[in-house]
Amino acid sequence: MEALSTFLALLAGGVLTGLVFALVAVGLTLIYGVMDVVNFAHGEFLMLAMYATLGLALLGVGPLLGLPLVALALLLFGIVVYRVFVRRLLAGPPEATVFGTFGLLVLLQGAAQALFTSDYQSVPNPPLQGTMHLGPIALSEATLVEGAGALVLTAVLFAFVEYTETGRAMRAVAEDRIAATLMGIDVQRVNALAFGIGAACVGAAGALLMLSYPVFPTVGAGFALTAFVVVALGGFGSIHGALLGALLVGLLEVFGGFYLSPELKLVPVYVAYLAVVLLRPQGLLGRR
Amino acid sequence: MSGAGVRTNGLALAAIVAVGVVASFAVHDAVTLDLAFTLLLYAVLGQSWNWISGYAGNISFGHAIFFGCGAYAAALCVTNGVSPWIAIPAGALAAAALAVIAGFPTLGLRGHYFSIATIAVAALVETFVRTAPWLGKANGFELPIRSGWAAMQFPSKGPYVLLALALFAAVQLATIALERSRLGYYLRALRANHAAAASVGIGERRTKLIAFAWSAVIASVAGVLYAQYTLFIDPPSTIALAVSIDIALIGVVGGIGTLWGPAVGALVYVVLAKGVALRIGGAGKGYDLVIYGAIICVIAALRPHGIVGSIVDVLRRRRGAAAPDATIACAP
Repeated sequence: MEALSTFLALLAGGVLTGLVFALVAVGLTLIYGVMDVVNFAHGEFLMLAMYATLGLALLGVGPLLGLPLVALALLLFGIVVYRVFVRRLLAGPPEATVFGTFGLLVLLQGAAQALFTSDYQSVPNPPLQGTMHLGPIALSEATLVEGAGALVLTAVLFAFVEYTETGRAMRAVAEDRIAATLMGIDVQRVNALAFGIGAACVGAAGALLMLSYPVFPTVGAGFALTAFVVVALGGFGSIHGALLGALLVGLLEVFGGFYLSPELKLVPVYVAYLAVVLLRPQGLLGRR
Repeated sequence: MSGAGVRTNGLALAAIVAVGVVASFAVHDAVTLDLAFTLLLYAVLGQSWNWISGYAGNISFGHAIFFGCGAYAAALCVTNGVSPWIAIPAGALAAAALAVIAGFPTLGLRGHYFSIATIAVAALVETFVRTAPWLGKANGFELPIRSGWAAMQFPSKGPYVLLALALFAAVQLATIALERSRLGYYLRALRANHAAAASVGIGERRTKLIAFAWSAVIASVAGVLYAQYTLFIDPPSTIALAVSIDIALIGVVGGIGTLWGPAVGALVYVVLAKGVALRIGGAGKGYDLVIYGAIICVIAALRPHGIVGSIVDVLRRRRGAAAPDATIACAP
């Protein structure tokens, strides 16, 4: 009974963690799908969102109320970054996007360190500090809200890409950029919007994460690495794939951390990445 | 590279070595010598990265693990009473073996799949080191203090600069040889178009494994020298992702796939990032990262072939000649 309730608690924890990973990863996979760019600075966008949430909290606007504001700010930030910077990278050789977004990673981390110091900072008096009991398992309210919020937002993004005219345009650009141009789609506009929406996803994820995590300049690196693994597992460019990959990674991390040791919690995640890219390079749900 | 090109590059290298040798004896200012050592060490690491990521085009973000092989080999040798000179072949063997084990499955991956795989492998290696008691876990090693050439430890920094200079010269000469060798042509052909290269019988895995192993060997020798210089190593200073990023950025700034790119990248890194950080208020405050990140962004957006690559482009355009790579890269 003891073992079973531990197992169920880990399962629930893994799924909830996975849902937050999914929200981070769908942003990455949307950007990749539409314009073939792996945004290595994705984790730093998350870090910016977490600092923005912290800033709002210090002004008296809590993380949940601040979420739409932070997501909107990241949307605009993403569009500006695309218009000013990423657009130019796309004109260069293929490795330019890797180096360029990596440079952005270094720049943003350095800026955060210079402006906010390397200290761990948390939202003062965060809401949802209680524990909820669901049958035999106990879950913290913050984790529950993070998971549920991430699920809702991932579903909203999915519906947007699947059912709206703009979403259709994004899928058309992802499918064939030149054909999309010939159909009268403004590829630059679609790219900019996709980059902005990808950033808005981590904006929302950052606001949710501040319910239970501290923020520090390199906080994004861990999440970004996980997101790369998630996206590769699910197949670069696939939104369902990202959701599936995120749940798998969340479970691997939580079970690995419990049954191996906390230091080794990421080992199964990286081994899974290597296994997938070697055995099924298109990912679980990706297309070649 | 033409015969005249080899002569020019050889003369330039000889001039650098001459200036370096004189400086290592004439200069006694510890800060200057420290900058010179760091510059040479980073130039070697950048060149090591350049072999696999520049010439072969497989961008690695995990190169620090090979640097770590050398550093840990030195630490293990010296703390067990073995000469650090033995650590050079020992570390090189370990690095080459690790490169073959890590490279065999992953070198066939393209673009970001390979880059992310190198991050994953490096993270696994770092986790291994951090949990292995015989590798000092997270604490690392403090090397016992000795003195003299047999112990590869010196009270002043001059001899270290000499050793780093010798390593730099050897690596530059090896790279000149690489550019003119069959291996070098195969690598550039694979980078330009792997399908076309395979169709003329170039074995991708075999060719890239050889380059990866040599690249790892170069980085490991730099690691031995680093451990003997600082006499303290731990995971953050040797194998962490941050070190891998530094190595890759040096390669990118100077210009990937060029002979002098890593040296120029190291110069920019040491002078700008470290120099400015010292002036504004020490490292660890992030200013060096801001400046360095901004440089990378500007180069990636405006001069994606790096500093040396752009100079080469300009020179070629002035001569009106087509880029030699273009003859390989005409397909598809």
